[in-house]
Amino acid sequence: MKHLKPINRKAEIVERAVEGGQVEEVVAMQTIVAGCSATLDPGWEVDPFGGVAALCQPMEADLYGCSDPCWWPAQVPDTMNTYPDWNAKAESAPRDWRLLDTVFPKDDGTV
Amino acid sequence: MKKLLATLQATAIGAGLALGGAATVTAKDYMVTASRPNNLYLIDLEARKVVNNCEIPGVFSPAVIVMSPDNTIAYILNDRWENVYGIAVDSCEVVFSAIQSTETVRVKTIASMAISPDGKELYTIQAPVKLLRDRMEVMDTKFVVFDTSAGQNAQPVRSYPAPRRVSVMSSGKDGTVYMAGHDIMAMNPKTGDIEVAIANANWDRPTYGAPDVLAFWPIGTVSREFLLMYTAPKFTDASQQELADFVWGYSRVDLDTGETAIDDFASVEVLMFSAVTHPKNKDLLYGVYSQLSKHDLKNDKLIKRIDLDHTYYCINIATDGSEIYVGGTNADIAVYDSETLDRIATIDIPGGGDMGTATIQVFSR
Repeated sequence: MKHLKPINRKAEIVERAVEGGQVEEVVAMQTIVAGCSATLDPGWEVDPFGGVAALCQPMEADLYGCSDPCWWPAQVPDTMNTYPDWNAKAESAPRDWRLLDTVFPKDDGTV
Repeated sequence: MKKLLATLQATAIGAGLALGGAATVTAKDYMVTASRPNNLYLIDLEARKVVNNCEIPGVFSPAVIVMSPDNTIAYILNDRWENVYGIAVDSCEVVFSAIQSTETVRVKTIASMAISPDGKELYTIQAPVKLLRDRMEVMDTKFVVFDTSAGQNAQPVRSYPAPRRVSVMSSGKDGTVYMAGHDIMAMNPKTGDIEVAIANANWDRPTYGAPDVLAFWPIGTVSREFLLMYTAPKFTDASQQELADFVWGYSRVDLDTGETAIDDFASVEVLMFSAVTHPKNKDLLYGVYSQLSKHDLKNDKLIKRIDLDHTYYCINIATDGSEIYVGGTNADIAVYDSETLDRIATIDIPGGGDMGTATIQVFSR
């Protein structure tokens, strides 16, 4: 904190906490607790070799294995919290993928 | 597949009459696995036939499955990592459930489930988070013990502090529970005492970078091993500037003796999601993903590799080692000859629902 100076009250409190050894340990939360959309896993599109050949083949083989446990959330709706029935009519991704629709937020004012 | 003959002493007690006698039965290999929407299957592997199809309570996923030691009850982690159901695979009766979350605390178990050697206790690692009005508060992770005879809505009978970031677990013959964390740890489930069995993230290998381990499927019971594979960068020297290779390796615990081993066995040429060794030759390793590979661990040699018709996540092996089974992802179990890697058969999942991350367990009875 040598080179940083607090410029508001909250920052002063943080500085005092650090000096007093009162900062709580930061603990990572399993992102799937909050829901799939909290997971950020942007690396799915590229395999470890920098190509695509080592991704699951075909991609439908990987869809539920990744999206059900919230591993692959960005490209599909959050089935844990907001859209639990998104894939209810598509038990087989290779066979039923046409039934996997885009979803849109709804509220009372939306028809 | 070879038939194993077993002579069992059958004893029947009923209506005040006790009968004792010897009966010769043929032990066969069976598989238990699961698929969407909510089905648990008992498969006769010799007949290549689904012989029982049970309904699983709750929401399907991740379908991590461990079998009771007598192979009559499948314990399945379901409801998006939260709850465990024990299903008698012959009657489909739900004989056990552990509902881990409450209204105010959401609990996730990231595949961490094992059963004691006598089948009396089920273990999970709980990662709880308190749901407050304005925030979520991460709580300490716990190793939790359930009494499997407790029936529905079983409550923990004891718990111990557990390390974070643990996935699959397995019980050794002496009751020690082995956990796949950043290191492989060994816990005494009677006392909560814990120690490192095999160092992974904290290994003393100056010329290696950190290992990466995917440990999602609690398989290995056929060969009585707790086996994980790692990938790691290997450098030319301890300065870790010049990459020499990117390697596959294994860490394994012999579940009967507790003996541990860790070693590299190949360069990373293809991905593998899960692997088993041959029950009669533990230097033969079979790994699966979009290819099925057979490795000689003793001589660090790839014996054979074949392309698969689609990716499979989970692998298992016949109890006599004669056949390899690959499943998960879609709706079929592919059967391969373990010697030649020729495809022998396909067992289709009824209804065609995807298996996703479901475990495939194999046993003889």
